[in-house]
Amino acid sequence: MFRIIKKSLKTGVVTGHHPDVNVPHEPVSREAIEKARPFRRSMTIREVDTGSCNACEMEMNALVNPIYDVERFGVHIAASPRHADALVVTGPVTVNMERALKDVYKATPDPKLVIALGDCAVHCGMFKGSYAVTGPVERHIPVDVRIPGCPPRPAEILAVLEALRKDPPDSAR
Amino acid sequence: MIDARPAVEQLRVAFTQAIIGVGSLHGIPILRLDKRDVPTVAHFIHTHPGLRGSLSLLWAVDHRPREARDELCYLFTLAARKDWLLLATDLPDGEREFSSITPTLHAAKWYEREVRDLFGLIPVGHPDMRRLVRHEHWPKGTHPLKKDFSWNRVLERVQGQYAFRKIQGEGVFEVPVGPIHAGIIEPGHFRFSVAGEPIMQLELRHFWKHRGVEKLFEQQQLTAAVPLSERVSGDTTVGHSLAYCQAVEILLGMEVPQRARYLRSLFLELERLHNHIGDVGAICNDTAYVLAHAHCGRMKEQLMQLNDRLAGSRFLRGVNCVGGVAVDVTDAQAAQVVTELDAIERDFTTIEKILFANASLTERLENTGILTERIAWDHAVVGVVGRASGMDRDIRRDRPFAAYGELQPQVPFYRYGDVRARMRVRLDEVHESIRLVREIRRRLPQGPLTVRPRREPVAGEWAISAVEGWRGEILYVVMAGELGRIHRCKVRDPSFVNWPAIQWAALGNIVPDFPLINKSFNLSYAGNDL
Ligand code: SF4
Repeated sequence: MFRIIKKSLKTGVVTGHHPDVNVPHEPVSREAIEKARPFRRSMTIREVDTGSCNACEMEMNALVNPIYDVERFGVHIAASPRHADALVVTGPVTVNMERALKDVYKATPDPKLVIALGDCAVHCGMFKGSYAVTGPVERHIPVDVRIPGCPPRPAEILAVLEALRKDPPDSAR
Repeated sequence: MIDARPAVEQLRVAFTQAIIGVGSLHGIPILRLDKRDVPTVAHFIHTHPGLRGSLSLLWAVDHRPREARDELCYLFTLAARKDWLLLATDLPDGEREFSSITPTLHAAKWYEREVRDLFGLIPVGHPDMRRLVRHEHWPKGTHPLKKDFSWNRVLERVQGQYAFRKIQGEGVFEVPVGPIHAGIIEPGHFRFSVAGEPIMQLELRHFWKHRGVEKLFEQQQLTAAVPLSERVSGDTTVGHSLAYCQAVEILLGMEVPQRARYLRSLFLELERLHNHIGDVGAICNDTAYVLAHAHCGRMKEQLMQLNDRLAGSRFLRGVNCVGGVAVDVTDAQAAQVVTELDAIERDFTTIEKILFANASLTERLENTGILTERIAWDHAVVGVVGRASGMDRDIRRDRPFAAYGELQPQVPFYRYGDVRARMRVRLDEVHESIRLVREIRRRLPQGPLTVRPRREPVAGEWAISAVEGWRGEILYVVMAGELGRIHRCKVRDPSFVNWPAIQWAALGNIVPDFPLINKSFNLSYAGNDL
């Protein structure tokens, strides 16, 4: 018990201790921000892997560690698509996962946001053209936000999630 | 190091008629057999007390267009001296059947089903002829690794149903899970047959993430495929790319400079560290012990940021290249790495103490998901899982690569085979990795980082290389094709052999403990499905 308390005190607060990143490579579109409006204060994400190399997953997992602690922004990770406001899809869509992706999309209640995470999800990356890959996520379900990178760093993912919560850039004027 | 000659002699005496030829390539003895004799010889190698060979790899090659034949190769690791021994057999053009060795060698089960799916060769006598890689909706006769199958062919969809094994009886019911799971993990399907609480049978159905990696390799130049190998299983970037590079280096006659060897070891250990620490946390998390998870997650993140500073990639992408390494580490950086790791070791040790003092945690981990030594041996299980079940094997020590010949890593190993043993292997390896990094820094020699190829690759020549990644041994077989291209690249992630074993470890446990058992194995779906 005392050991645990001592350790916690010694460690202190580590949240936010990560290097800064540049803003997302591709600005988040107005439509996406509009669509995300109901979820500004609380967004529940369901992650779907359709054939990634699992590095993208690891970065998604990193988002919930104490350093990025994505929950402080009201973002939660859900275990079921039925609880989700947004789907984060990683990986090119493989022949074997195509059905499952469509099922998950159908199971997610409207209105929903689809985020394609990583080069694979955006344009199939290295696996483009392979017989076992049926194309990027966009070919199967509508995508609202793209986060390129192989894999994108957690801080980059955070930046995009943050951009979704802001007012569109020109509405301030 | 490699001396399988006594074994070869022994086999030659025992099977005078069966052995057509004896050869050797890059120090690996090769016995050529008629395809009918393979099961007997394989069985002999597996069971003879002086040999005790475990099947490490089984792969097929389609030699067209150069020669009209298919070849099957069986790689054994002999227990006594950890030597390699290779059996090879030819199937002339048009012949599709070969005798299965699975009835006597459990470890061949998935390999032979894989060969059947990808090459259309039929393992006669195999007890389980269901499809493995090709799911039921793939049309009949699609065998992607055959040379006449174009890599970018679009598959059509047909109807089909996978026949799961059924257990029947009063009170027995099935719990299907997946392919999409709760939590952020990869897709795979598990089917539990349970009677009341305990699991009576677990059946896996994987290969949802099959991306055609081996076929994609065949579209590349030997020297250009490193990025693809890094993306076979993202969490093992260094392990996979290193294994790939080593195989190509053999084909191009390259002698990697000392400094590059040391740096390769350094990066491999850094990869092992962040994964092992993350896993320890994740195991604790699955017993609802969030405190340890949070601390381990923090340390893991610290290591990933260290990677980012060293190599510009959190996963150490792009550090390995054919002929050496592409990223240098300055003296100041090396010193920095050691200081940070010292701090992490202190940090980690206090967590370890907290873990060991936690009786309720120990209660959950002990005797959960036991993989017995016998089953581990039958399945030729490798890596962390093997070392927790009494298999004293580690490529870093047994078949040194990179700088491990001089570093002499210590290999922890336990016999209990439960979740706790697997966690303890990881805990011990964390300390050992940190020691190795200190050692590397102390010895890091000066010199060039890469060499140039000494010769052109010869079409049809091949090479095997093995690397002990953080999960276990990664094997690559690379065969050169015309004009410096890849003719065949067989990739084997440790997950491929360890997955079937999990079906045994789960037996008799309750379903809610399965996530914990699964986490303690922590196998890759991507590396398995390819
Ligand atoms: S984008 Fe890169 S990191 Fe993400 S799944 Fe694809 S290959 Fe892996």
